[in-house]
Amino acid sequence: MSADGRCVRYYCTAGGGMHTFLAHELKRKLRATEVEHIPGRVFFRCSSDLQEVMQLKSAERLFLLLSRAPPISLPKNPAKASHVIQQSIVGDPDNWRHALFTWNLLQVEIRHAQARSLKRKRDVEEDKGEGGVSCAAGSERAHTHLGTPEGTHDAPAHRHQGGGNVPAQAAPTFRISCRCSGAVARHYSSQNLSRIIGVAVARELGWKPDLREPTLEVHVYLSDDHSVIGIPLIRHPLASRRYMKHTGLRSTVAWAMTSLCPMKEASVILDPMCGVGTILLEAAQECAHAVFIGMDTEEGQLQKAVENVDTAGQKSRILLVQSSCMAIPLPTASVDVVLCDVPFGRKFSCSVDMPAALPRILAEMERVLCEGGCLIILLSLQLSAQMKKLVNSNALTPQSQMTELDKDPQGKSRGLGMQGPEHSWGTDELALSSLQLQNIHRVSLGSSDGIIHTYTKIQTLKHTHANTHTHDETMSTS
Amino acid sequence: MKLLTHNMLTSHVKGVTKGYPLLIKATEVKVNEVEFQPQFVSRMIPKLEWSALIQAAEGLGYLQDLPNAPISNYENNEEFLRKVHRVLLEVEVIEGCLQCPESGRQFPISKGVPNMLLNEDES
Repeated sequence: MSADGRCVRYYCTAGGGMHTFLAHELKRKLRATEVEHIPGRVFFRCSSDLQEVMQLKSAERLFLLLSRAPPISLPKNPAKASHVIQQSIVGDPDNWRHALFTWNLLQVEIRHAQARSLKRKRDVEEDKGEGGVSCAAGSERAHTHLGTPEGTHDAPAHRHQGGGNVPAQAAPTFRISCRCSGAVARHYSSQNLSRIIGVAVARELGWKPDLREPTLEVHVYLSDDHSVIGIPLIRHPLASRRYMKHTGLRSTVAWAMTSLCPMKEASVILDPMCGVGTILLEAAQECAHAVFIGMDTEEGQLQKAVENVDTAGQKSRILLVQSSCMAIPLPTASVDVVLCDVPFGRKFSCSVDMPAALPRILAEMERVLCEGGCLIILLSLQLSAQMKKLVNSNALTPQSQMTELDKDPQGKSRGLGMQGPEHSWGTDELALSSLQLQNIHRVSLGSSDGIIHTYTKIQTLKHTHANTHTHDETMSTS
Repeated sequence: MKLLTHNMLTSHVKGVTKGYPLLIKATEVKVNEVEFQPQFVSRMIPKLEWSALIQAAEGLGYLQDLPNAPISNYENNEEFLRKVHRVLLEVEVIEGCLQCPESGRQFPISKGVPNMLLNEDES
């Protein structure tokens, strides 16, 4: 139950391309309703415990929604603009008081939860054997008073005070953080707007501006299409994981990849280029009874991965091996899922020429996958295009694949697979043709975009039979 | 390196046709307590190469009289599952090496991580 048992309207910020994943996660985990998105933001309503909302994996930051309205147009004259802002941004002061009330309740919930998890940690440290966590929340007095040191001062008498059905509460200190784009931004800077809105809120509600350490930070986002007001519920982004000591790939994108794969109990899940283990750690959070194998050629990366796995308490399930993705030391058809972030060769130095190595890497991944297994791979735009050609040409016309691979400057990549010297063009072709593209998702990685491809390994020509598509539960690209 | 890892690893040196199971030559072995999840262990048993596990456990001196084949109805036998849990997840080779049964190639294990990298001419 959240706050006082009502549905709460939230929104999350999300990275480029992540809104599909977030919307799916919201519906699946929180049974959220009114899930809608605009660029960079996903709105929803749900009655889940805030703790659960805070467990969202594909979101960046979490906000309480104060209002979402059509775009406003501001007159050039500052005095007139100030009036418009009071009318349409501040609007009904009771909305703000309601939001403050809900926000306060949620803050209490957050502190309860933090106290609980602290106590749980102590309990675990004191007595590992004791089963079951007592519901100790009630015994811990959370401080409901949220005012700043000067919060005890009464707000100046106000014409709306006590007017609505909002319980009386101390006036908080606040700061407005405005972000604007489009027409509004042509005449007003963000700082200017923040100030004008701040003045209007102070006047209408009696809240005290404090730019340094406000109790409440109100975010206002104005564009040509939207005006959104919200209050962040927690300071740190949801995307920064408690269980991750060293970070590699963006945690939200890593999670998105794992959300695409059907993980079952006792599944064997391999990341043949695991780096510090980000993807496997995200996957391990989602699936309690699977085995995860991480491989990397770099000892330094693996040492960090070891620390990450320790920190996350996943030592028993994440197995690390120093090895190359071009010669995976696992038997054929021994893995259920391959998850892989193929290095772009930008952020991390990469000793391998990726475009040249890709066919061979794919052939290895395909080899270790079992029939019905799933490959989820994150690629640069360039490698994504190459991969589409490789797989398509394999599936459609063996002839075109030959020419494609003949262009490969590193033609020596042939015949280096597990099967030994007889490993020829023919088997290569057959191997890759068993990968069937399911989905493509484009996501932002900050400075560049990446493409997630999802493949299922189907039965090859030799044993063609229906009933191979058992893994269609993955998210559709709608 | 846990014996679960060992149970999956195979030698992939060029030309080797039977690179499994790898021989363990341990110089340092530790037993780290790991939370017992009976369901996980019992789901993993059908996936294991049982004889390789027994051989590895015996070599390290942790066999705990495990039989040559999984007992019947092991899902409900906590004592049995605990033993499997121990050899699979708690016994850990910290230093030593793995040897390919066919080529004799040795793969070092350092700080608990096996190094399966091959040289240019081996792959």
